[in-house]
Amino acid sequence: MNAPDRYERFVVPEGTKKVSYERDTKIINAASFIIEREDHTIGNILRMQLHRDPNTLFAGYKLPHPLQYKIIVRIHTASQSSPMQAYNQAINDLDKELEHLKKVFQAEKIRIENISL
Amino acid sequence: MDGVTYQRFPTVKIREMKHEYMKFELRETDASIANALRRVMLAEVPTIAIDLVEIESNSSVLNDEFLSHRLGLIPLVSDKAMDMRFSRDCDACDGDGQCQYCSVEFLLNVRCEGDQTLDVTSQDLRSADMAAMPVDFEIGRGFDAGGYDHSNDKKGIIIVKLRRGQELRLRAIARKGIGKDHAKWSPAATVTFMYEPEIHINEELMETLTLTEKLNWIESSPTKVFDIDPNTQQVVVVDPEAYTYDDEVIKKSEAMGKPGLVEIYAKDDSFIFTVESTGAISAYQLVINALEILKQKLDAVRLSDDTQENDEQFGELRQHMGGVS
Ligand SMILES: [Zn+2]
Repeated sequence: MNAPDRYERFVVPEGTKKVSYERDTKIINAASFIIEREDHTIGNILRMQLHRDPNTLFAGYKLPHPLQYKIIVRIHTASQSSPMQAYNQAINDLDKELEHLKKVFQAEKIRIENISL
Repeated sequence: MDGVTYQRFPTVKIREMKHEYMKFELRETDASIANALRRVMLAEVPTIAIDLVEIESNSSVLNDEFLSHRLGLIPLVSDKAMDMRFSRDCDACDGDGQCQYCSVEFLLNVRCEGDQTLDVTSQDLRSADMAAMPVDFEIGRGFDAGGYDHSNDKKGIIIVKLRRGQELRLRAIARKGIGKDHAKWSPAATVTFMYEPEIHINEELMETLTLTEKLNWIESSPTKVFDIDPNTQQVVVVDPEAYTYDDEVIKKSEAMGKPGLVEIYAKDDSFIFTVESTGAISAYQLVINALEILKQKLDAVRLSDDTQENDEQFGELRQHMGGVS
């Protein structure tokens, strides 16, 4: 049988990097991040978070093909920043937002449980 | 670097919470977060489900693979799934996928002896692990937050029916998995969100309408969004969320020669979520686990140290060579 592995779609193959980085050869402060085994879930939140960064001149992502399980995030920043800096910043900010959301949810659960008592 | 942050601080209001159902408002964030949360709940929060079946004897009317498929679809209580290992990266059993860290074993042994048709249900599954039983098997979870008594509906999920002399004997292994792999692992029955609508009635223009015109206009909406205040005979918004963005009232205003009677916007930072779980985990836990999974996913896409170092060296090299060519 030539069926591909069931989890090939979401498990990074051995010897492959989860994230690789490619600097743009023509434009300074522009680069692409190739993220293996991720899709719109990560791509879109990263893109939207990058748009909140005033140093980001361009941020976009694409899913090149539905059977290639990777996304490409492209970032172009102003000279006071760099694509890597913006990328790290976006991840940190999203992480903090989700941590905040989790706390807010837990507090809200306690609040409504107290009401129904 | 120096403490700059573009972080948001979303707010949450839970409207209704039962074991398997939850409705909440999510505000002060954008659609990308709402959608990521929805997508993760559907396809990436792990549960456990039957994944391997060894049939010892099957004289029922359903063939072995049909039965195995049905067994796989039975939701199992998966509160411990977050702490379990995926069999593919379990080192305790070397990919065998049958050890205590990555699997739960079930046995089923039923034979019909009487003249009555015998229903084989999820209740007939026997497991050593009480923490991973089929969902409606729940013992002691009698009442949930909604005050709903589960103890009356322990009928179980039907797997197959047997007639006299037929039997079914099998061993099943349940493993941890995610909905992306196979829908049987999805803990979500439905997860939806809608944008909160903002409805502004142009009162001045509305008052130029007669009562019958007002009633006609109200009737043009397929859902009950507007009504007449019996005292003032003014048009009021009774249920903004009933609006389905169908534009019918707007088209009606135009047809009546009164464009601009009402203006409706979708607030782009307010979402109303409806979450229904299969029962594998509670709806609340589903949201919490989705947030945790999303955090883990983000953590996994951080740049590795060597990628960052390589780039720094590249930057220095570029400076030596006299800037960008
Ligand atoms: Zn194992």
